[in-house]
Formats: sequence, structure tokens, C-alpha cells
Amino acid sequence: MSSTSGTSGTSGMTPESSAPARRETLNESRVWHVYARRKFEEPLHEIGNVMADDVELAKVYARSIYDEFTWIEMVIVPRDSIVTVIET
Amino acid sequence: MSTGTRTDHAALFAILSSLADNKLAIGRRYAYWSNGAPALEAAVAAAAMTQDELGHARTLYPLLDDFIQAEADPSQVEPMTRTLNYALAYLDNDFQGWSDFVATNFLMDTALTTFFEAAQNASYEPLRQRARKIVQEERIHQVHGEGWVRRLAKAGGAVHAALVGSLERLWKETLCWFGPNDDPTMQQLYNEGIIDATPDELRSRYLQKIMPTLSSLDIEVPVSFNATTKRWELSQPLPWDTWNAVARRLG
Repeated sequence: MSSTSGTSGTSGMTPESSAPARRETLNESRVWHVYARRKFEEPLHEIGNVMADDVELAKVYARSIYDEFTWIEMVIVPRDSIVTVIET
Repeated sequence: MSTGTRTDHAALFAILSSLADNKLAIGRRYAYWSNGAPALEAAVAAAAMTQDELGHARTLYPLLDDFIQAEADPSQVEPMTRTLNYALAYLDNDFQGWSDFVATNFLMDTALTTFFEAAQNASYEPLRQRARKIVQEERIHQVHGEGWVRRLAKAGGAVHAALVGSLERLWKETLCWFGPNDDPTMQQLYNEGIIDATPDELRSRYLQKIMPTLSSLDIEVPVSFNATTKRWELSQPLPWDTWNAVARRLG
């Protein structure tokens, strides 16, 4: 392992540091829309969104945050992949 | 208090005590970060994992009361009155930063899960039942740990350095937790079919789980890939001279 050591006082890494500093250090810029359904006869519907640059973390966040129901299916869609067809 | 016949099994009692203490300690350390993670999403995930870890401890402590070994000091089988501490020394103090959370999630929690995976067909039914449920719940923890190791490693600079420092401080103690290969406690569990691997095999399984992530991020650890066996192997001895076999921790 490298000889680098020590974690205390790292900017943006301690719970006491300011939220803006943390966001600056580990800025999450990618938005994922979360869709889910509770019954097979229901269509997927949007239940919210999460921010994460890592797709695996986005999946963890979606499961953690939107756990109010026993979903039978949940998917996430990156906002930047959505193609607008009509915009007024 | 159990009214039935108690089991006489010092080795199983010792390992269950260590598992419960470590799960409780992890849960307590995680809890502090449930409102202090770098992002709201991460804080919610930390809160969920805190609940899981405390829940695992909550299902393990009652098992201790089923053993004759609990009779020596009944206060030691209740988490609220227990004074013994068989959790890792790394968990004795508050995390110094989010990177300590990530290192614990990625290294220590995964090590405990490796043990529970080996106990999914345990001849001791109460552990078998709990092991299967814990392994199922830990899958998302592992994804979280791997994801955050990637995030911190790729952030570079001080964030990367903090991650490496946290991993470094937890590395040896985590690998030691499985015990030396002649550890009589783990060997007895193996010989009696309570786990399906020796300490060395558990350690090897563990390395195969964590090394793909560390290797892909060029995080240097004393592990080498054996091209013949296609397996990751430790390349440095562990500090058994400072290993406390009773508390299963260093120092």
C-alpha cells in the first residue's frame, strides 16, 4: 500500500465541514430519474430522482431513498439520455 | 434468559461474540454519518446501512444466551450491559472522515460477509438462518462500498489520499480477523461443519472479492496475482505478534 496516510482535516470530508465544500469536493452532477411499480398490471411511473455520477451508486441510492413500498420493479434512467419530443 | 438446555461450545460462542460486537460497532460508527455524508443520497444510504448493521447485531446477541459460556457472566450477553469488546480496534473511535466510513464498508463489512457466506450451510441452525439473511442484505452494502471506493479514488488529490490512508489503517486488522490458519477457534468451526472454509481459505475468498476493485483503481496493497492459480494472494505476512486471539483484534 502506498505510504500516504492520515484522513483528519481533509477538506470536505468531515461531517463538520460545510455542505457546499462537500459538494464541491465530491460533486454529483448526473441526475437519474427513478421509475417503479407495485403491481404487474401497473405501468412504471416516475417516483423521484437521485444524483450520482456512478451508476452502481445511483442504484443503491434509488433503493435506499424510495423504499416506502415493496416494488416489483424499479429502473433508473439518466436524465441526459432523455430526448425531448414536444416542448412548449 | 433461555430456559432450555444450553450448548457447550466455546469456539462458536467466541465467534458469535466477535460478530455481534463488530456489527454493533459498525452500526454505531455508520450512524454518526447518517446526516454527515457528502451528499443527501449518501446520507440516506448510510442511514439504511446503519439500520441493517444494528439489526444484524440485534439478531446475533440473543444467540449468546444459548451457550453454557454465557453463565460465567450473564451481563456479557446483553449489549446494554456488555463490557467486553471484541470489535476491531479501528472501530474504537469515531471515524475521522467519510473515507473511514467507506473503508469500513468496503473492507471490514465485506470480511464479515465473507464469513457469513461460509456459514450459509452451517450445522448450527440459528447461525445458518441469520447468515443467509445477512448475506442477502449485505449485497447492496458491497455495491455501495465499491461505488464509493471508485468515487474517492477517482476524485484524486487529498480525497484519494484520505481513502488510501483509511484503507491502509484498516487493512491488516481486517485480514487478521479471520485468524491465523491454525486458529483453534475457526478450525473447530470448520471441522464441525459450521463454516465451510479454513481461515486461509476465507482470507483468499475475501481477497478475490475486493481485489478487482482495488486493482482496477491502481490502489496499491500487498497482494499479488498468481497467474498459475488465477487467484490474488497476500504478498506480506500479517502481524500475528500483535494479534489478540481472544478479542480477535490487533493490540
